[in-house]
Amino acid sequence: MKIFGKRLFRPRSIWIRRVVQWFFFLLIALISVNHTLVESGGGIPFLSTASLHSLCPFGGVVTIYQYATVGTFVQKIHESAFILMIIGFVLAFLFGPVFCGWVCPLGTVQEWVSKLGKKFFKRKFNHFVPTKLDNILRYLRYVVLAWVVYVTATSGTLIFAEYDPYFALFNFWSSEVAIGGLIILGVTLILSVFVERPWCKYACPYGAVLGITNLFRVFQIRRVESTCKADGACSIMCPMNIPVDAVKTVRDHQCISCLECTSEAICPVAKTVVFNAGGIK
Amino acid sequence: MNLTSKPLAAIIFVILFGGIMFTTATGWWKTESTKQPATFTEGEFAGVANPADIRGSYTFGDIEKAFDIPSSILVQAFVIETSDPAAFAVKSLEEIYAASEFEIGTASVRLFVAFYKGLPMDLTTDMYLPENATILLKERTLTPEQLTYLDAHTVPNPAAASSAPEVATVQVTESAPEVVATPSPAMSEVSIERLVKGKTTFREVLDWGVSQEIIEQIIGAPMPNPLTKVKDFCTEKGLDFEVIKPALQTEVDKVKP
Repeated sequence: MKIFGKRLFRPRSIWIRRVVQWFFFLLIALISVNHTLVESGGGIPFLSTASLHSLCPFGGVVTIYQYATVGTFVQKIHESAFILMIIGFVLAFLFGPVFCGWVCPLGTVQEWVSKLGKKFFKRKFNHFVPTKLDNILRYLRYVVLAWVVYVTATSGTLIFAEYDPYFALFNFWSSEVAIGGLIILGVTLILSVFVERPWCKYACPYGAVLGITNLFRVFQIRRVESTCKADGACSIMCPMNIPVDAVKTVRDHQCISCLECTSEAICPVAKTVVFNAGGIK
Repeated sequence: MNLTSKPLAAIIFVILFGGIMFTTATGWWKTESTKQPATFTEGEFAGVANPADIRGSYTFGDIEKAFDIPSSILVQAFVIETSDPAAFAVKSLEEIYAASEFEIGTASVRLFVAFYKGLPMDLTTDMYLPENATILLKERTLTPEQLTYLDAHTVPNPAAASSAPEVATVQVTESAPEVVATPSPAMSEVSIERLVKGKTTFREVLDWGVSQEIIEQIIGAPMPNPLTKVKDFCTEKGLDFEVIKPALQTEVDKVKP
């Protein structure tokens, strides 16, 4: 951070998050490649050959209705997706949408592309969408969620796979990928040059589900007003444009628990923006 | 209590992989459908795996395990060129034989397995086999009824498979195939998608334009929750899926997409 041209504070990064993101990106990419290799008679030893559908926790969410009414899973969805959904909910109940901020490879790829945007547009990056419009668009993902749940419940098939950029990202080489998914993936990556995590902000139905947990998660992002210097660094750094410096506790449904706003990263004052359970004394 | 990034990363790993390991240990973690077909429940073959339950997601390796038929025989029968016969998925047959006028797919594999192992099979519906499969089967002991059925349900091997392994002992019998299907590109993508299969739900049949009334006439009972698979319903109600399936398919085919 620079004031009058002097660097007063060297912002730190949550480097461990990058390591975790890389790990899950490579893991899912390798499993997806392995799935294709196995179908053609090859395969990487000791690595799962599961399909992407069976490793997607959102698959568990969309199959809830069918499981409750008929007792079966939607086609292509298996027990593993249901279990991952439960694990995702446990993590979200405790820490909020850490799945989005730490695990989801599509979020990771968007962050990588956004580095280009940060270089090109500097401070203008991630501030292209007018605030009023942005505030409305943020709820679009709940419309997507309602649509996906409805069409899956009424059709009993995984219709969202036709449009899913996450599936397209790890299957673009296979015949299973739909053109709709590839187009949405392409648009998402292009938009990532201008906006941080555009898919997560405006369209991701799984992010919409997990985002609700920000209202009641056990560990919350909290700002200690007494020590806060009100420099706005936390709000500037937030990839989801949440005005952290304007609230005591972040309950915004868009928070992805990346911890980039905390005193461990951008906030220059120790123990001022913290990830905390039980409240601040 | 404050939490920083490193403990959070560790907790994410512990909960995620701990959950997967725990559910793997308990047998709940499954990333694919069970590849063990249902068994005959009564009669001479009670307890034996039923070929009618072979699904498109099975590989030739799965069939080898369940029915003790070598994958090498299966690739020979269906004229498949592959370095790993056990990994070949049954559902891939439809792509290979897409140009054939008569469907060679999962039902063909069921028929082949049943005849090869001498197991009962409902022959009231039309299921087709390539020439290689028929030749292999005729080397085994078949009933006159099965021989007649084979003669009427054999189609030429796929053209692209000319370099495929030849059947070792080619015995051209007197009963040459009566039905010689000319490979044709007529089978469109749409018609492939509108096929009643084991995983087809009542919702899909409705979406293909068949009315609930007609469906109920065919199944002889009120239609269950539309998300129910037709095959599951048949199994539950003791109906023969191999009878219901073609009846529904006929109605689906009547409706233009």
